[in-house]
Amino acid sequence: MTSAAFWERAEAQLAETPLDLSVSRDSFYSQPEWDVYQVNYNTSGGHRLFAWLSVPKGTDGPLPALIRLPDYASVHDIIYTPLRHRAVVMNATHRGQRNSDGTYRASYPGLLTDGIADGESWVMLGAYADALRAVDALLGQDIAEIGAVALWGAGLGASLGLSLASRRGRVSAVAADTPMPLGHHSAVEPGLGYPLGEISDFLRANLGRVDDVERTFGILDPLGDAARVSAPVLLSAGRFDRGTCPLSFAEELAGALPDCDLRLYDGAAEGGGHIHAVARAAWLADRLGIA
Amino acid sequence: MATKEDLEAFVTSVTCPDDFDEFWSQTLTSLAGEPLEPSVTPDPLRSNDDVNVYHATYRSLGGVEIFGWYSVPAIGEGPFPAILVLPGYKSEPALRRDWGRKGVAVLSVAVRGKLPSSSSFNPGYPGLLTSGIESRDTYSYRGVISDCSRGVDFLLSRPEIDPERIYASGSSQGGGLTLATAGLRPEIKGGVSGYPFICCFPESMKMLRSYPYDELSCYLRTYPEREAQMLETLSYFDGVNFAPRIKCPMVVGIALEDEVCPPETSYAAYDRLGGERELWLFPDSGHGNAHDYPRQETAWLEQRISASKAEAVAS
Repeated sequence: MTSAAFWERAEAQLAETPLDLSVSRDSFYSQPEWDVYQVNYNTSGGHRLFAWLSVPKGTDGPLPALIRLPDYASVHDIIYTPLRHRAVVMNATHRGQRNSDGTYRASYPGLLTDGIADGESWVMLGAYADALRAVDALLGQDIAEIGAVALWGAGLGASLGLSLASRRGRVSAVAADTPMPLGHHSAVEPGLGYPLGEISDFLRANLGRVDDVERTFGILDPLGDAARVSAPVLLSAGRFDRGTCPLSFAEELAGALPDCDLRLYDGAAEGGGHIHAVARAAWLADRLGIA
Repeated sequence: MATKEDLEAFVTSVTCPDDFDEFWSQTLTSLAGEPLEPSVTPDPLRSNDDVNVYHATYRSLGGVEIFGWYSVPAIGEGPFPAILVLPGYKSEPALRRDWGRKGVAVLSVAVRGKLPSSSSFNPGYPGLLTSGIESRDTYSYRGVISDCSRGVDFLLSRPEIDPERIYASGSSQGGGLTLATAGLRPEIKGGVSGYPFICCFPESMKMLRSYPYDELSCYLRTYPEREAQMLETLSYFDGVNFAPRIKCPMVVGIALEDEVCPPETSYAAYDRLGGERELWLFPDSGHGNAHDYPRQETAWLEQRISASKAEAVAS
């Protein structure tokens, strides 16, 4: 299956799946300055997803929004950011993560290679579709009117964000930290640590499936997606990262993105750490008009 | 950014309950009454030329089954030194294969509530930090710390492990659990506690807006009348009260821009350590992301493990 054929089908499946959105205020985790909501909605394949949503109090009119896309981990919690004071913030999950695991529970390690040699049954493809669904849920809720939408993710979340931005013109900015090169040859370089090392483990144990894995990988096309991202991207990576975002991928990706500000740091998977966190917060606030 | 002077000037309101030792002695006695039931299942997919990886399980407080990644050097006879790696609050337990080629075994524990140790206790994230907080006997961390202590028992049950060379390490919650476990278990011969969580609860929850400490603020907003009870419970689980009971060498690593575990509270734990101690300060670094921390952690543990081997040979 080609990348184009996969996405055509994924979009069609999402379109025919009723969102069935439910939003309930969580009085325990709501703050004096913002309300916190638990959000549930349907995605393709019969999965029901969960997200945390916060809405600042005492504000009118369209509000800027930030979607924090999920890490490669089972837990995606509320995550504090000072942007919650003035923006709607959504922490979306994908199928298999905690609270979105009613029909499928991801294992770590293990998720990255679940179905990887079987083409369209690769579970990670569903995670990419779920990222699209997060925007549908954000725009479908009626608690707050949404204005500009920015995305932020690290590792897997960064890759999901870039894919999402390439398919939804509503996205106006992407902060992508150490994106995982899923669908790119650098993800199967020998000697990588986890999480990417899961793929090497799989190939070592399944010598005859290399071509199958490469075919499955071809469904995702991160560089092709990147060329279609019209929103500005703040991309960060660590020069010594050998497990999440190899430097060669970060540089190639930056070259493919039409509007990219690449920041490289002398770190590993933590990328720029605190220094970049400060820069990213200011960049996002500026793009969302709340600087 | 916090300075070393800020850290030294900080004063915590945490006091140690008079019956702290009695409470933990009783807990460890209860734990000893539970059959350990250790098991290991080979995981060929995760094993390589350097290390054999196993799924380890054992029973802990209340009969809860705890999972861990257990990696054992593939080369050499043993007995091997071992590192007990303790997990962060919401992160997955790390599968550490890097120590195998250095002749060191690792048990990386998934404490209760964390996949795949969540089948009978699963308060969620957020949720764990306030679960059962109404009493020291029901508080989640009584079980969580027991799970770590039981990890020591698991290692001691293994014939391939040298019982005189067991170390501990972890970051964030893992750093706090390293302090708690080393305070309870003298079998631990040294440890590295990075960015330790569960230190100075009363101050930590007021100094920051970030999770997990903010779970405690949410709890107090909902139940303001329970503050005294909550703080009493937490005093039995505070890293600064375990610190004086730690007699082995211990490192505390602190990021001076830490936005999750206030640097001052980590320093307070360091300042109360009862044995040989070392402080690592990382300017311009935030929680869990000091560039040099992983390298320093590995080097310190390698040096200690190597020295312990030389001592054993000499004796």
